Amino acid sequence: MSATAVSFSGVEKTYRRPGFLGARYTTAVKDLSFDIPAGEVTGLLGLNGAGKTTIMKLLTGLLFPTAGRVKVFGHAPSEGAAKGKVGFLPELPYFSPQVRPGEALAYYGRLSGLSGAALALGVGEALERTGLEPHAGKRVSEFSKGMLQRLGLAQALLHKPELLVLDEPVSGLDPLAIHDIRGLLAGLNAEGRTIFLSSHSISEVEKLAGRVLIMVKGRLAATVSRAQWEAAPGGLEAIFVEAVK
Amino acid sequence: MSRFVLPAAALLAWSAGAAVSGSYYRSPFPPPSEIHTPADGAAGDMFALAFGARRLFADVWFIRLMQYYGTPEFCEHEEHGTDAHAHHHCGENGEGKYPEFLARSRHVLEIDPGFTMAALYAAGSLAFNMGRQAEAEELLHYALKYSPKEWKYLKVLAAIGYTKADDPAAVAAAIAPILKDPDCPVMLKQQAAFLNKKIGNYPAAAAIYADIAATSRDTAYVRNAERELEKLSRLPPVKRKSP
Amino acid sequence: MRILRLIRAVAANSFSESVRHRFFTLFFVFACTAIYASVLAGVMAVDQEARVLTDFGLAFMELTALAYALFNAASVLPKEAETKTIYLVFSRPVPRWAYLAGKLAGSLLTSALMLAVMGAMHLLLLKVRGFGVPPCYAWALAGSLLKLSVITSFAFFVSLFSTSAVSTMVISGVFWTAGHFASETRFLAEQSGGVKAGVFKAAMWLIPNFQLFNTRDAAGAACALGPAAFLSAAAWVCGAYLAALCLISKKEF
Repeated sequence: MSATAVSFSGVEKTYRRPGFLGARYTTAVKDLSFDIPAGEVTGLLGLNGAGKTTIMKLLTGLLFPTAGRVKVFGHAPSEGAAKGKVGFLPELPYFSPQVRPGEALAYYGRLSGLSGAALALGVGEALERTGLEPHAGKRVSEFSKGMLQRLGLAQALLHKPELLVLDEPVSGLDPLAIHDIRGLLAGLNAEGRTIFLSSHSISEVEKLAGRVLIMVKGRLAATVSRAQWEAAPGGLEAIFVEAVK
Repeated sequence: MSRFVLPAAALLAWSAGAAVSGSYYRSPFPPPSEIHTPADGAAGDMFALAFGARRLFADVWFIRLMQYYGTPEFCEHEEHGTDAHAHHHCGENGEGKYPEFLARSRHVLEIDPGFTMAALYAAGSLAFNMGRQAEAEELLHYALKYSPKEWKYLKVLAAIGYTKADDPAAVAAAIAPILKDPDCPVMLKQQAAFLNKKIGNYPAAAAIYADIAATSRDTAYVRNAERELEKLSRLPPVKRKSP
Repeated sequence: MRILRLIRAVAANSFSESVRHRFFTLFFVFACTAIYASVLAGVMAVDQEARVLTDFGLAFMELTALAYALFNAASVLPKEAETKTIYLVFSRPVPRWAYLAGKLAGSLLTSALMLAVMGAMHLLLLKVRGFGVPPCYAWALAGSLLKLSVITSFAFFVSLFSTSAVSTMVISGVFWTAGHFASETRFLAEQSGGVKAGVFKAAMWLIPNFQLFNTRDAAGAACALGPAAFLSAAAWVCGAYLAALCLISKKEF
């Protein structure tokens, strides 16, 4: 395993919005450089519009950088070699309401290159780890928001990725679901997987992450380690508020 | 350089489709300059062409033709001794004027030149019911332009020639081969039966009437065929044999 | 082999998604309309009932399948982007060309199933009315499928740059109708000169000739589809697919 899971160097992303009187350009992230060490849990904090989702999409190959370079385990994010090592949970994932969780997972498992016994095993394990096994007979339309989030996490875990990219993994969940997911992520990290998660919840990031990146208006305002926020009066929240002010 | 590869490949593939189609396809349909659309049918013709549904709209035009031909015309005659005008149906057996008949029939073929049954029906009606042999010939010549190998048209053209020569036996003989064809309109069968009866070939007439009664879905023709069969069955045995 | 499995997975998913949605409603509408038409045809067409029923059925089948194919092709990619389902696909090692091929294959499979089921219903209705299988029936269905293949791949391409599913359907619908005027366009190109002829010739190159596949209208004549029809259809599908790939490979989500 490479020592660096993700590397951003001088990355800029500018969106082009075509309009009637010419295009409008909005810069979402600018001059962004950071590394995510393999095996760590790294949190990404920022206000709305700070560029968190853009970073997530850049490292999963859904967006292409306007300038700079993104590397995932030494490969460009659009390369199959990088994608095969990444599991992505977008914010509010969507699944066809008519299918059962096993069917949805089987589809995404096939897309991740699994087949036959490995696919069946992967689906079973993902259902078990996310606590969805008792609900395997239900249709997705019957799922609560928490169950959908678990299913989203299950599809990201299917192919046993080395890096998990999670966009708002506990958004809108009840405290019990948050507790369960936190436990699951801690377990995954204990297995050696790298986790990169964005969240609005400072306390959640504080509990899980070993390091936090704070984004302000598309720029990396601060990189804070657990030791730093534990030593600081007011903890991570005080550092975050100071950074975004 | 590589960013031009995909667009170039797309253009090349698209052009190949156009090239193959252009070199292979020859339209079997009349050109637009030949389509004389009645004013109230322009939208229908546009749909026929735009959705590739010529046969369906030709069917609609043919149904309209049959409805037009099935509508009794009123003839006006001055009755002597009174000032009043008396009206009565003329053309109850299809021998009325029906001035638009040729144009309407031709339009069916302009939309679907392969509609053989419509051409035979219209030509037969014009030639044998309305006595407009020239118009029937014009229609058949138009039909032959797009179906030059259609032998049934040639048979009807021959029958029209014999009609002009007032030779009913030859007319019946000319159309006889068409009668078993699935494209043969029941009107032509009835005409053949009538001619055979007229020349005294009762067994042939009876066979055709029996065929009409057994195969046609047009109740008017079926009832008439049954009536004729009844009449023929009452003929003395000696008359029922072939002449 | 792995890529083929990927394409098959995307195609199967696309196909089953289509079958789950609104699919059987269309069959019900088709069955009701066909029965209604058969009652009308029985009264109005008399001895031409078989022909009218055949022509109506084949045309209505094609239009029903076209409506569904256009709706499906126009909405499938934008919907996957809108619901973020595409994030779950493109964050995996799925090449965009394979995804597009799978989606297209799924749509074409859906069209084929629609035509087959409606064809079976239509033949059953004809049998009930006392008629056999019309001549060239299978060729007519094959022609419709080729037309649907071309228009579906074209709609996929349009959906990647158009602003809404409705505009994709309108543009593709115009293309569909224009494609049936190919022989008229050729006639006009031959009759006119100068710039006009150039415009008509360009239209002939740009717009696929759907009459080439229109076996329904040629029924009774030489109705078998020749190799040129299959070659042209393959080339047009391939052209539209590559153009769509050109857009989707640069597209960000």
